[in-house]
Amino acid sequence: MSVSELPTKEANVLKGHEGGVLAARFNSDGNYCLSCGKDRTIRLWNPHRGIHIKTYKSHGREVRDVHVTPDNSKLCSCGGDRQVFYWDVSTGRVIRKFRGHDGEVNAVKFNESASVVVSAGYDQSLRAWDCRSHSTEPIQIIDTFSDSVMSVCLTKSEIIGGSVDGTVRTFDMRIGREISDNLGQPVNCISMSNDANCVLASCLDSTLRLLDRSSGELLQEYKGHTCKSYKLDCCLTNTDAHVTGGSEDGYIYFWDLVDASVVSKFRAHSSVVTSVSYHPKDECMITASVDGTIRVWKT
Amino acid sequence: MESDEEDFVFYGTPIEREEEINSRKKKSVADASGTMRSLPSWKQEVRDEEGRRRFHGAFTGGFSAGHYNTVGSKEGWTPQSFTSSRKNRAEVKQQNILNFLDEDEKTELEGRGLGTSFQFDTFGFTAVELARKQSEKEQQQRPSAIPGPIPDELVVPAAESIGVKLLLKMGWRHGRAIKDSRANSLYDARRDARKAFLAFSTGDTKSEIHNSESFQVDDGVSPQPAKGDISSSQSTPVYVINPKQDLHGLGFDPFKHAPEFREKKRARAAGKQEGCGKVFSTKNNLFGFRTERVASGFGIGALEELDVEDEDVYTSGYEFEETYVQEDDEPPSKLITDGKQKLIERKVDGVLPGFTVPSNSDYQLERFDPPVIPKDFIPRHKFAGPLNGGYKLADTPPVDVPPPDDNNLKLLIEGVATLVARCGKLFEDLSREKNKSNTLFSFLTGGTGHEYYSRKLWEEQMKRMDQPKHQFNDKYSPSVEKMTAESRGRILHERPLARSSKELNPPAASDGVHVQYNLSDTFTKPTSSGGMSEVVKPFEDDPAKQERFELFLKEKYQGGLRAAAPVIAINMSEAARARERLDFEAAAEAIEKGKGKGLKESKLSAEHFVDFLATGGMRFTSGGVEEVKDTKVEGLAVEKMIPKREEYQWRPAPILCKRFDLIDPYMGKPPPAPRMRSKLDTLIFTSNSVKSTKVEEPLTSTFTPSPQSNAEERNEDASENVNEKEIEVECVDRPVDLYKAIFSDESEDEESTSTLKQAEDPKKKVEVANTTLNRLIAGDFLESLGKELGLEVPPDLPPSKKGQTAAPQTEVVPIGEQNTDILSTENKTYPTPSSTGIPSEHRKTGTKELGLSGRKEDNEINHNSAGSDGKFMETSSSGKNASKVNGGKMYKEDRKPHRRAEIHRECSNSSSSEDEKRRKRSRRRRYKSSDSDDSESSDYHGKEHSRSRNRKKGSSQENKSRRKHSKHHKHRHRDSSPRDHHRSGKDRTASEREKHRWRD
Repeated sequence: MSVSELPTKEANVLKGHEGGVLAARFNSDGNYCLSCGKDRTIRLWNPHRGIHIKTYKSHGREVRDVHVTPDNSKLCSCGGDRQVFYWDVSTGRVIRKFRGHDGEVNAVKFNESASVVVSAGYDQSLRAWDCRSHSTEPIQIIDTFSDSVMSVCLTKSEIIGGSVDGTVRTFDMRIGREISDNLGQPVNCISMSNDANCVLASCLDSTLRLLDRSSGELLQEYKGHTCKSYKLDCCLTNTDAHVTGGSEDGYIYFWDLVDASVVSKFRAHSSVVTSVSYHPKDECMITASVDGTIRVWKT
Repeated sequence: MESDEEDFVFYGTPIEREEEINSRKKKSVADASGTMRSLPSWKQEVRDEEGRRRFHGAFTGGFSAGHYNTVGSKEGWTPQSFTSSRKNRAEVKQQNILNFLDEDEKTELEGRGLGTSFQFDTFGFTAVELARKQSEKEQQQRPSAIPGPIPDELVVPAAESIGVKLLLKMGWRHGRAIKDSRANSLYDARRDARKAFLAFSTGDTKSEIHNSESFQVDDGVSPQPAKGDISSSQSTPVYVINPKQDLHGLGFDPFKHAPEFREKKRARAAGKQEGCGKVFSTKNNLFGFRTERVASGFGIGALEELDVEDEDVYTSGYEFEETYVQEDDEPPSKLITDGKQKLIERKVDGVLPGFTVPSNSDYQLERFDPPVIPKDFIPRHKFAGPLNGGYKLADTPPVDVPPPDDNNLKLLIEGVATLVARCGKLFEDLSREKNKSNTLFSFLTGGTGHEYYSRKLWEEQMKRMDQPKHQFNDKYSPSVEKMTAESRGRILHERPLARSSKELNPPAASDGVHVQYNLSDTFTKPTSSGGMSEVVKPFEDDPAKQERFELFLKEKYQGGLRAAAPVIAINMSEAARARERLDFEAAAEAIEKGKGKGLKESKLSAEHFVDFLATGGMRFTSGGVEEVKDTKVEGLAVEKMIPKREEYQWRPAPILCKRFDLIDPYMGKPPPAPRMRSKLDTLIFTSNSVKSTKVEEPLTSTFTPSPQSNAEERNEDASENVNEKEIEVECVDRPVDLYKAIFSDESEDEESTSTLKQAEDPKKKVEVANTTLNRLIAGDFLESLGKELGLEVPPDLPPSKKGQTAAPQTEVVPIGEQNTDILSTENKTYPTPSSTGIPSEHRKTGTKELGLSGRKEDNEINHNSAGSDGKFMETSSSGKNASKVNGGKMYKEDRKPHRRAEIHRECSNSSSSEDEKRRKRSRRRRYKSSDSDDSESSDYHGKEHSRSRNRKKGSSQENKSRRKHSKHHKHRHRDSSPRDHHRSGKDRTASEREKHRWRD
């Protein structure tokens, strides 16, 4: 894929959040996107047409992360109110609130079958919540982390968490092992490659690190952007050819996956780019920023 | 008859006939004549003009109320009756002072009220008042849509003020401006409203009003004192009420003398309102973030406190484009009033409110040349009466004279001498003058004791001479005095120095360092420092840093001059400096250590030092502000080890595997050792959830600790043995209790107390809960340990087995007695240390076994005590079961002690040692009671931690000896597993019941 195919043209600006937007996520088919922010709301958008569809309000404090099931029927969200909310998308009602984290909840994800929500919290734990039963208690607490867990990723059989203690820990349910990869730098955000062989970790030393999941080997480091104090998302493009991530100065960076050169960078927002999300199939990307806007980028 | 009487001369008083003369009348007459006054006071009586007695004695009625005394009615004071019905509504009466006045008082009051006459009603207040009254009257006469009196605002004064009258006479008419011919009152009104709105929105009415003073003064009708082209208006005045939003006292204006701060504050408030738009640069303001970094856009709830997490981290460090919100309510026309303009100007320029920046100022700052300092000027104050002026100290000291015989005189002389030495010769002169006539002070003028005095004085002065010198040395630092180096050097008798400049550029900085260096050299012996810095040069690759380090060392270990902070690191940020300081600190420590070991080991210390560098770098680099060189060095060190992969055992919850459609890798394996957990966690994780999860997932309790932690545990030495024993004791005792707790309520064939158990006592429950809480707070960690034991084992006792279970229990009771003995023997076996730890192939199952060890111990004890009684297995398992159910039945627990006591009594042993044990046990019982419900209320996983922590220590040592038991045990567990579900159903109901109760 050539550089020209990178989504660098602004297609839409989604405005509506009051205050910073902390996360923006495509749904599984990329037709819609969800955002959440400091105004305690979650918003559902059609990024391609640039319209706001729905607002979900129930959180008591800022909403830090949101995720939607593959069938688009349920949402989960988390935030500063230490709870994980399990929503019904169409009615906008909260089906369940999972309480138990002793601190802010930084990230939340559904598993593939949408039966479990895994949340990562400031209380140094990952918690798994059962969506099937009516219990609001975690079915699993993983607290081997020694600092705040910032990000979580799920595969079919693994839970991967990135923590400020500098580790990316993979919990494999099939073999019952925990694999800890110590990066030595606080990990802000982790993101899986689309082939699920690599994990991209955004570290607080302004470096993205690409790890081979099977061997734990450091494959590449991506530098150039600024990431020193905020939780900034990073991700790989849909073809896994490039690595992209936001910067604290409002820029978006694209690196070549293999030689780690900055392929493209442009100023997308006036302030910290908190979140980036890449379309699962097309060359399209959404970025969210503290400036309160979400921008849709296309080629 | 009459005439006859006139002729007679009467003597004495005529006897009057009773019936004729009313005694009352008589008395009144007597009163009138003043006879009463002659009576003694106790005989006098108060009467009214009618002669009626108004005051009776206390026993005869006191003030007789009623018709004759106070009220006009016969009944005296009667409360008003209030009746109000649907048809006949009671009027709400407004009381005023007239209701409480008598008629005479009312007449007195008549015409006394003060009011303004129409003639002098300048401001029309009286007119307003009158109009209001008038309207009220009218209101009463005719029905109106608005009930009650008309609000003041609606009533416009009928009379015009004198000012208006004057203006009218001058040709002014209503609705006209004085100067301006434009009669567009609508426009004016709009403008005023806008102004008012603006003022309101900015929250700064005062300055607003200053800008347009006119609005304050007039009452809406009168024209304004013309000012520029400001037009007056007919419209009613707009009083903008400034809501009080601060916490200052009424009328207190914190910005009274500093209006510019008000401006700032207002701007800040405005910035908040604008949402994320306006961001203040707090980059360099350490203290500003408290208020300004609050998240923009949305606040938090009114009842929530603003804490750290509400700070808007996203807006702290970066100054985004400032978005000025332009007031777009400016009229499109060019008719912009002065005030308006000013307002905008002020906003832009930040000039004080009410002022504008002049376009051209004639004010010129006059500069004067500094006065020429005379060449011979010595920049030190010479005191008029110098300390040592009159005396040539260096010369021959006065002769040592024996003190005078008079002790008083001697003391006096000495005192004066010290004083004089301290205060100078002036004091001597003064006191001499003062005490001229006083013979005692003759020594001052040469009388007796003068020699001694002079000698004393000399001594004192000699003493004092030494001190000041030191003081000078300490006092003079180069930054304080603005004297030339030469003069300073002369004063301090030091060798001349290079000029120290204070410019803030790097070359100057190094210069400054140099000066510093020299200076400190002059004051301190440089021997040690030189040696030190030569031994180890930790920052050789960075000479500047090395220099700073040396300086740091000097400061640290030696006295001398301190460098002013900016001299050290001019081109470094605060953070970098702090970090460097930490580096230095550590380095110095390392060096010091090396020194301590001696020169021989200096090499070694250097190595150690390098070591420190690596680790230190790791720790301090995260900020990323480090100089590039450093990060490179550290990066090399870090890169070697990163990413580091480690692997641990981790046990997913079975339900998690189920939800992920995976096969539980640990399926069928007994629950692993629980993870360790701190006492604190026990306190924090208090949710009553444990029960339910437990019931749903009997195997959820499996949580594998990482082998790492296990290893750590194993490494821990026998220093904790004491602790260990305690724990063991606890564990040993436990099952019996739980057992009892369970069975006491399930079996009727129990001891005498069984009936008691049947009854539910909510009060006791509450008590137990309270005690539990207290226990928890007390943080007894034994308890948290013991409590968890109960939760461990999957229940295997079907509810139908009442009769069976009862039987073993009775057996167990005496066992409890023996436990302590057994315990002692057991404890002896514990210390056998496992020399090699656990064999490698054992590792995998090790954790599991460790987890079981707690249970194992219990069983063992049961085993021992019950001998080879085949039932012990059942007892133990049911005991564990009991602990589970316990949560739901804790109210029974506090009855346990009674039963205990009974049992003890039955037991034959009554030795003192036994007594002691019993006491112990009873204490434990108390713990246990709290345990049970704690176990219910505390987080399940969390508990596992703490348990494992303690358990593992002991169990690792015992592992060998216990292995056989564990096998035994596992076996049993498999056996009992089918019954689990049976049991769990019951448990669930129990737990749910309990939950309900808790909620209630």
